Amino acid sequence: MAEFPGLEVSAAVAARLPDWDDIVAYLRNRPGDTVPDVLRAADRSGVPAIQPRCGVGGHAEMLALLRELALSAPSVLSVTIDSYTRLRQFDVAARVLAEEPARLNGYPLVAHGWQRGRELADAVPVPLEVRHGSPDGRDLFATALAAGITSFEGGGIGYNLPYCKDVPLDVSLRSWQQVDAACGALADAGVLVDRELFGTLTAVLVPPSISLAVTLLEAVAAAREGVRCISISYPQGGEIHQDVAALRAVRTLAARYLDPRVEVFPVLHQFMGAFPADPAWASGLILHGALTARLGGASKVVNKTEQEARGLPDADANGKGIRLTAVGASSMFDFVELDADRVAEELHWIEEEVAELVEPVLAEEDLLAAIGAAFRTGRLDVPFSASVHARNQVIPRRDPGGAIRYADHSALPFSGATRRRHAALLAGSAPAPRPGPGEITAVIRDISYFADRTPARTP
Amino acid sequence: MTPLPTDQPRTVILGVAASDAHAVANQLICRLLRAHGFHVVNLGVCTPLHEFADALDAEPAAEAILIGSVNGHAYADLRDLPELRRQGRLDRPVVLGGNLSVGAHKRSADLDRLTALGVDHIVTGLSELLPLLDTLHAARQPAPQHG
Ligand code: B12
Repeated sequence: MAEFPGLEVSAAVAARLPDWDDIVAYLRNRPGDTVPDVLRAADRSGVPAIQPRCGVGGHAEMLALLRELALSAPSVLSVTIDSYTRLRQFDVAARVLAEEPARLNGYPLVAHGWQRGRELADAVPVPLEVRHGSPDGRDLFATALAAGITSFEGGGIGYNLPYCKDVPLDVSLRSWQQVDAACGALADAGVLVDRELFGTLTAVLVPPSISLAVTLLEAVAAAREGVRCISISYPQGGEIHQDVAALRAVRTLAARYLDPRVEVFPVLHQFMGAFPADPAWASGLILHGALTARLGGASKVVNKTEQEARGLPDADANGKGIRLTAVGASSMFDFVELDADRVAEELHWIEEEVAELVEPVLAEEDLLAAIGAAFRTGRLDVPFSASVHARNQVIPRRDPGGAIRYADHSALPFSGATRRRHAALLAGSAPAPRPGPGEITAVIRDISYFADRTPARTP
Repeated sequence: MTPLPTDQPRTVILGVAASDAHAVANQLICRLLRAHGFHVVNLGVCTPLHEFADALDAEPAAEAILIGSVNGHAYADLRDLPELRRQGRLDRPVVLGGNLSVGAHKRSADLDRLTALGVDHIVTGLSELLPLLDTLHAARQPAPQHG
């Protein structure tokens, strides 16, 4: 049975994997660009790399999907994992795979096994990333490595709170600590793993400083385990000055808080909330996201499709999303110039808020324990938490310009200046209604900011 | 939609299907129903069907079981419904809403399969929910005496 340094893999999965030394040797000698190579090249050129999400149940179907998407010239392709595998229900994933693979919402890599994973990695001319949402991704990580995939998304907070009901943060943080330690061991052995941190969180009205605080804490924890390449994703909220500032903050915060030996790459996730169903508005939003990524200096942008509101996209719509993103991130829109003062003002406040959130936690001796404690007491929180292990008491609202602000910061330890600014910015919005149907209508309006748009038509 | 006059608040059991972690609609529906005077037992995301049955055992006054599923796995997540019903459990209208199959192209056969499992009502928009609950309430037999 394969033994992995620092990484506990379940006996059933380990029994099917090659030895660690064989995996390392294979990864060292794999030809072609890795994700870090692609991200460095993107930074040099100023044009973000592009990556779609993609995963279907069947193996032949997945091979065909990757090959077809490769024709649209993405920089990285995804192996998006199904919900059962994410929650470690490998047996259910295997059963649905046997019965009707088309009913899975992703590729069950553990059920298919690492050999098939290698076939995926060998099928296309670009590197792959495993995107999932597993509070405990250790078995999946080991399988991905054996498959030759060295870009792996997730972290102990971002892959817990949005993705499950009742896994304590201490448990998810410790399991991701093992993943990061294995990446450290690989870095020492000359294999650089790209670890992407999921700043999107619950995706709906996530205030930038919450996203950035969470990924920064995860990044510090990862760097301490020896991780040397970190992609930090941020979800497009829809107000471009705020979004561009947040993307730039990824680099300034990393310079302030992270070990300089770590390479950091900002990643934009195109709008992650409720998407417009109308294809024209959906395409417009995709273009908007691409432009945001370029202006914000993102190393990579993860694209959406015009079918987002309806269901998992077909290959055609996804290819279109990739190509539309390439257009939006090209020099075609170089004439667009943002108000630099407005961006600088947002950047200043984002850095300030993140400092107010992370510095008390970073000051503690045991970082992982301090993160768990901060979520228990509400000094860290996320809106719409799927998990019971965050307080879920922060209330975000859009200001009149569409930027995401704190209507109620609950127990987040913000300074008086920060609190006054958010109150002032929201003063121009419709007043927060009292709890009841009116309040819910107001929240739904902010959530549906883009989803509600319908095309203008001539009568 | 005013709650029908009763001594007790009307109770419903709400949750998201077993493999599904989408929380937003669930939390909005919970707040909406509470704002309309319902007692909502919200089981949250990733709730296996047998936990809905357990919740009903603990709250026998519940009028309906409201299940959300948007990740496309509704059928696989609800496949134990016939078995639980055979055991005499989940003996209330099961109302299902969300995005009920994988993919951007929906077929009516996907909904038929769910109905065949024993799902009683499939709701597409939030605005349909309160009228449906009122209809189910009105159609109820006089409430059984418990305890
Ligand atoms: C936000 C979001 C997320 C967030 C969720 C955060 C959280 N924990 O809540 C994140 C980024 C984490 C996420 C993750 C995933 N997501 Co998601 N997500 C969305 C998105 C963009 C918006 C959902 C949302 O909150 N909308 C706002 C709420 C208010 O509306 P709603 O959920 O659409 O529900 C409405 C109706 O369906 C209905 N309804 C819903 N539930 C119920 C229940 C009852 C009882 C009733 C009556 C009505 C009802 O009422 C609501 C209001 O109209 C949608 C796409 C979209 N719609 O734009 C995809 C989407 C739902 N996600 C999808 C998927 C597949 C996933 C993943 C499995 C990843 C993957 N393989 O791609 C994971 C989930 C893992 C898991 N274990 O389930 C797919 C589902 C595909 C399908 N059915 O074919 C969608 C459609 C995206 C897509 N096009 O692929 N997601």
